[in-house]
Amino acid sequence: MSYAYLFKYIIIGDTGVGKSCLLLQFTDKRFQPVHDLTIGVEFGARMITIDNKPIKLQIWDTAGQESFRSITRSYYRGAAGALLVYDITRRETFNHLASWLEDARQHANANMTVMLIGNKCDLSHRRAVSYEEGEQFAKENGLVFMEASAKTAQNVEEAFIKTAGTIYKKIQDGVFDVSNESYGIKVGYAVPNASGGGAGSSSQGGGCCS
Amino acid sequence: MRGEAAADAGAGYPRSPEPHDLSDDSDYAAAAAASASIHAAIRSDMADIGSEETARVDVVYEKERVTIHPTQYGSSRISGKLRLYLQLGALFLSWEPNEGVDSFSTSSVTAEIEKYRNLYTIQALPVSDIRFIRRYNPTFGLEYIIIVLSSGLAFPPFYFYNGGTRELFATMKQHVFIIRSDDDPTLFLVNDFEDPLQKSLSSLELPGVATVANAMSRQNSFSFAGSVNEARHGDDAKHGGPSSIYEYGSKQKHKLNDPGRDLSLQVLEKFSLVTKFARDTTSSLFRENHSSGSHAYGRQKQEHVWDNRISDKYKDQQITQDDTSVLSDSTESDELLLVWGKKRGSPLTVDEWRAFLDPEGRIMDSKALRKKVFYGGVDHVLRKEVWKFLLGYHEYDSTQAEREYLAAMKREEYEAIKSQWKSISATQAKRFTKFRERKGLIDKDVVRTDRAVPFYEGDDNRNVVVLRDILLTYSFYNFDLGYCQGMSDFLAPILHVMEDESESFWCFASLMERLGGNFNRDQNGMHAQLLALSKLVELLDPPLHNYFRQNDCLNYFFCFRWVLIQFKREFSFDQIMLLWEVLWTQYLSEHFHLYLCVAILKRYRQRIIGEGMDFDTLLKFINELSGQINIDQAIQDAEALCTIAGDNGAACIPPGTPPSLPVETDGGLYLQEDDVL
Repeated sequence: MSYAYLFKYIIIGDTGVGKSCLLLQFTDKRFQPVHDLTIGVEFGARMITIDNKPIKLQIWDTAGQESFRSITRSYYRGAAGALLVYDITRRETFNHLASWLEDARQHANANMTVMLIGNKCDLSHRRAVSYEEGEQFAKENGLVFMEASAKTAQNVEEAFIKTAGTIYKKIQDGVFDVSNESYGIKVGYAVPNASGGGAGSSSQGGGCCS
Repeated sequence: MRGEAAADAGAGYPRSPEPHDLSDDSDYAAAAAASASIHAAIRSDMADIGSEETARVDVVYEKERVTIHPTQYGSSRISGKLRLYLQLGALFLSWEPNEGVDSFSTSSVTAEIEKYRNLYTIQALPVSDIRFIRRYNPTFGLEYIIIVLSSGLAFPPFYFYNGGTRELFATMKQHVFIIRSDDDPTLFLVNDFEDPLQKSLSSLELPGVATVANAMSRQNSFSFAGSVNEARHGDDAKHGGPSSIYEYGSKQKHKLNDPGRDLSLQVLEKFSLVTKFARDTTSSLFRENHSSGSHAYGRQKQEHVWDNRISDKYKDQQITQDDTSVLSDSTESDELLLVWGKKRGSPLTVDEWRAFLDPEGRIMDSKALRKKVFYGGVDHVLRKEVWKFLLGYHEYDSTQAEREYLAAMKREEYEAIKSQWKSISATQAKRFTKFRERKGLIDKDVVRTDRAVPFYEGDDNRNVVVLRDILLTYSFYNFDLGYCQGMSDFLAPILHVMEDESESFWCFASLMERLGGNFNRDQNGMHAQLLALSKLVELLDPPLHNYFRQNDCLNYFFCFRWVLIQFKREFSFDQIMLLWEVLWTQYLSEHFHLYLCVAILKRYRQRIIGEGMDFDTLLKFINELSGQINIDQAIQDAEALCTIAGDNGAACIPPGTPPSLPVETDGGLYLQEDDVL
């Protein structure tokens, strides 16, 4: 499928916070509680539309365990966006955010857009991190913040698309040199100003093409 | 002598420094005519094909002073006579060394040279066995050719001191089907379509074959006879009468039509260029003749291109071989075959297993057992027993009674270790962060391990709990290593096979003795293996290595998952049980899995390089190979690569690289940091 731009995303965060489930909810619109734990990295892709332009998101879903950090770091290269995920029911996953962010800052390009996601907000009765704390951390570190649930799909679509919108705006503002692919953006073959297609900021069907 | 006439005819033509395309080379018409002029029938005693009759032999090409350089020193030369001849309608090639010391050899000709003399003699090589020939006409220096057989074997280069390679090709072209590579002008694909039966076949199939061959040569990719299955059939057929000749033809066509069979071309050619190495390779590919009683093959042995005396000679010289038994399966009567990734066998059966045991239950020939498992795996009902040996939990020379005693002791020991964490109360756990975190991680992971396999599927599955208990117990047994993701992937098939908690634990613990390094916090075991993999690709596929280097892919992180959990995610559950038992035999190498990586990468090298994959694309591509890899083919390829690489391959892998046993130090096996989870 042709696209105006391709954005590379990376999903990071502690093991078991629901990275793979967020990806699956976004690409396949389903929640699968039983799936194999991620070893190394898994891939997903989906087309969305922003400003009437088809944009392909290629999403890298990484393994969360500490031991694999040295490998995970090599995946940051050329990512335009990152979803930094914690689990609102497990305090320690929130406590580790700073270390993840440090990794991202160190190994990704400086203009990478980072979205902070407090996942499992459907389990608010077991909440261990307040919304405000998440919001505060995001503010202090210049991140976009959202609580979401891969199970109910709440805010999942929004999280990925809002990140894409931010990246898109950076392109419009000339922050990126899109001819340089190290920014995680590829210019596709679709005519950038083609009319028609979906309404702005809405997503197209979950065509998962690679 | 006619050979001299031919030589003169060949020498009379100006040699172009740049090779031209064969088809429009005007020299060829003349050379062909010259060759035709000597196309007189002569009796020859050089090829005694078929003991029942001495068929008429027509020599169509003969060239003196065709020489090999068996060592790196130019003075060590063996000069000989290269001939092409027709017999019973088929074209054969022979090379016979001259008797005595070559006129241009120095006095330092040693006994060693003598042995090469015999090793390299080609008595009667059917040209149909040749896969391709490389021809080099350097501007300065001698012209030479390298012959590579369908079986994968490469002869050392033949240097033409009197010239005549063009004439050789012109002559061959009259009798066999030759295609020159578009991409690589030194390369000539050879196929014998002149056999009467094959001719009728080829008249039907030739256009298609030619197209495929052309396409392949454009990609510089060859449907190498990657499978010994085909090579062996070919060999059988060659001697088996008309009906099998037909079969050979069809096999060969099949080979050509399967461009996926791209294997080790560079490897073999590279090795053939290093003549001494080629000799070693040649030697190691020989099968020694063990069972002289197989009369059905008696005739074949006589007329086989590889005369018995080669292997006899080879034996006489007592060139020690590390392990030739891969080539000497006494249960099969295919001695002296050139081995190129042996055909996969059938799984070890109950009867076969019993035959390995002495009355007290000792395994009498563990090597033969490992060999059997390496080539065919184990019948599923036997895995429970056999895996305990392969994993090192049981000693091969233990008796049944000893093992039963051990199992009882080990069961108690297991329960003792398990009670260490079982006895931790909720109050204690509150003050034991490391335990809580570890348990939490394992709890999360066991419910994400092989849940699609019936043994582990469904809610409240008891086996998932056992998986958890074993992993948690292991993290106490080996507290320094603890738990790391990927361990559950290893344990799940083991528990599925053992169906016993304690036995599974000890088998898993034995496996972790070798693979613990994969899960070490600093990932040193992984880095060591990925580095070794890089070295192996450099050795076995230099162009691919160069490609990875140019594209900043030398960290081999794209193979991370393959190596970490030994292909667990790349194959089905059933396939992985087979693959692992093959790996655990450590039959050809402790690091066979690395050769497997190389083999798979080589299979896809054309796409990797052709599509110009960068690191990201490559990683995604490799990931998506999951479920796509042909396991038998991959094992066969890896076997061939492992055999060919030999000591040079082993030298790529530093000592202590998993699954080698780690080098124990006072500081413990596993790196510790204060903030370890």
